[in-house]
Amino acid sequence: MTPSSEARSEARAAVCAAAAAGDTHHAIRAARELLRRGGAQDLSFLRREIEKATSWSPPLTPVKVALLSSFSIEFVEPALVVHGFLSGLAVQIHRGGFGQFRQEIVDPDSRLYAFGPEFVILAVEGEDWAPMLYDQFLDHDEASLNACIGQICDETRALVQALRRRSAATVLMHNFAPPRRRQLGILDAQLARGQAQWVHRMNEALAAVCRDAQGMYVVDYAGLVARFGATRWYDERMRLYARAPIAADQWGHLAAEYMRYCRAVRGLTKKCVVVDLDNTLWGGVLGEDGPYGIRLGSEYPGSAYRAFQQELLSLTRRGVLLAIASKNNVADVDEVFAQNTNMVLKREHFSSLQIHWQPKTESLPQIARELNIGLEHMVFIDDNPVECEEVSQALPMVKVICLPQQPELFVDALLEDGLFDALALSAEDSRRGELYRQRDQAEALRAESGSLEEFYRGLGMEVTIAPVTKASLARAAQLTQKTNQFNVTTVRYTEAELVERMRTGEWLLATVGVRDRFGDNGIVGLLMARPDRTALDIDTLLLSCRVIGRSVETAMLAFVCAQAGRRGLSEVRGRIVPTAKNVPVRDLFAHHGFTQVANGDSGETAWRLSLAGGGVPWPAWMRVTVADGNPAPEA
Amino acid sequence: MERRIKQIMADVLDLNPKSVDDSTCQDRVAAWDSLNHIQLVLALEQEFAVSFEVGEIEAMLSYPDIRQVLERKLHA
Repeated sequence: MTPSSEARSEARAAVCAAAAAGDTHHAIRAARELLRRGGAQDLSFLRREIEKATSWSPPLTPVKVALLSSFSIEFVEPALVVHGFLSGLAVQIHRGGFGQFRQEIVDPDSRLYAFGPEFVILAVEGEDWAPMLYDQFLDHDEASLNACIGQICDETRALVQALRRRSAATVLMHNFAPPRRRQLGILDAQLARGQAQWVHRMNEALAAVCRDAQGMYVVDYAGLVARFGATRWYDERMRLYARAPIAADQWGHLAAEYMRYCRAVRGLTKKCVVVDLDNTLWGGVLGEDGPYGIRLGSEYPGSAYRAFQQELLSLTRRGVLLAIASKNNVADVDEVFAQNTNMVLKREHFSSLQIHWQPKTESLPQIARELNIGLEHMVFIDDNPVECEEVSQALPMVKVICLPQQPELFVDALLEDGLFDALALSAEDSRRGELYRQRDQAEALRAESGSLEEFYRGLGMEVTIAPVTKASLARAAQLTQKTNQFNVTTVRYTEAELVERMRTGEWLLATVGVRDRFGDNGIVGLLMARPDRTALDIDTLLLSCRVIGRSVETAMLAFVCAQAGRRGLSEVRGRIVPTAKNVPVRDLFAHHGFTQVANGDSGETAWRLSLAGGGVPWPAWMRVTVADGNPAPEA
Repeated sequence: MERRIKQIMADVLDLNPKSVDDSTCQDRVAAWDSLNHIQLVLALEQEFAVSFEVGEIEAMLSYPDIRQVLERKLHA
């Protein structure tokens, strides 16, 4: 009956086969294909297949999500499990009774806290929580509408405070969708205090509440409904009949939106975009059309390629690195960069170039090595389906975007999955490409230097160790979420969890900033330690890969020893929890004179250093400043 | 059509599609609660690109009922 039914059966069979084999990458591809062919009617099937599988390789990351709602949100659960799976997450759901979210949050013995959520989603519909702003709008005057906004903000604040006493979960709070029907009709938009304006003010007030709270983020429900259209988003029949206002074919969109937050908190954000050149950054083939003959400019299709380049440029401002993997002649490409004034992207926007005739399955690992990032943090974009398939097969951890024929669809293809979402934008993000260039200069210096110490001295490093403050909190949390290589325990923390540690006063929490003769790297390290009997116990010690191999870690350990001494403690302890990524940090403690005291499960090792021997000495080849009243080292 | 109805019922109600027959009704299927009833109806709407009225939703309480309602919808 439907032309796609055969393809759908095939996609279902592929899902079953991959799930039975526990093959995560293939199952994700098959599930995507099935959702493309079918839709919401396949969600129950997919959820069951996903949950039925006993093991996955590579394993899924478990994530516990509590759904608290003013309406029947349980219908979204299959979509949540499925879209989590598409991001490599195994979503466990706690569902509160609808309309009972207040009780669940306030009651310290509620099932919510027994569940131990990592994410609490407050899925409220404005129509349920603030009917005054919707159907009853004309029954109320300005004073009572203002009071309504104030009251909802107060209640939200109180709920989050109650939640924070029991949970450090990341809170995701819906804002309110604009009213579907304007009670004043066409007049509404004209008025300074129209109905839509009131909902907008409500949303501004709610966003302010979220900004002031830690680890609480706005889910832009208004934006989501606008993107897909209110007439399609809602199912009025089900809203009134089953308290399920969201139409079935929109559940996936809502679930996908939630998953953007989970990915960002879990450090699954992509860090680097690798692009092809011909028919990707410009139309046509450089080798045939020449540096001036390629399609790029103000007229279609050149305008579409320029729009795509502009979007890639914007990504660099968000901290995403760009690289090129192209089969071309280097000289031709150099000429385009140097001469073609229609190029939005310049040579300096790219942190790595692989322009040659070797397969892209070799170029991508080479770029990953150069930039010191994992392949799973890379996105590969190409117009050639054969090369896309080659990369998908050989490097399944790379996210591959195979561009459609029409260049006007490129921007959507790049952005639709929210691959680059972050919960904060740090000063470091907006100039990451520049930071990598500084690192390249430092690497060149290393090559010239005779000895390691000469190299360190030549860098002229200035290291600043400072307590974690409200200003550096977002960056500190981001570092725990994104750092994989030089990270002793690789525990991810949310801002709320760090705030909790700041509050207790017991923790030593310090950020590490590094400046060298090539520029300021910003905050690149984090240290968290806590006294335990006679020892200062290191919970987190991490460094961004940009500054690995410069002995900054020596300064960090010297700082820990000095702090332990000041607190009258007699030793420093640390642990290494091995992961696939953190090989560079494995010998950290051994290298600094620690003694191994225990081997734990799954390869974990424990280390101690007695301060009787003086602890770790401050490195002499850098200037270390310890901020905020802590004694400066004699360096 | 029958094969597709059975497949959707099997997906939502956790049944083997081959076991769905004229005796399959809400009272006899443990998983067929009010929540899954809505899931089932909405999945059928997606599958057959139709929209049911509440009266029809409340009448679709067995496999033969579902088939009948759908046939009427599709041939209307």
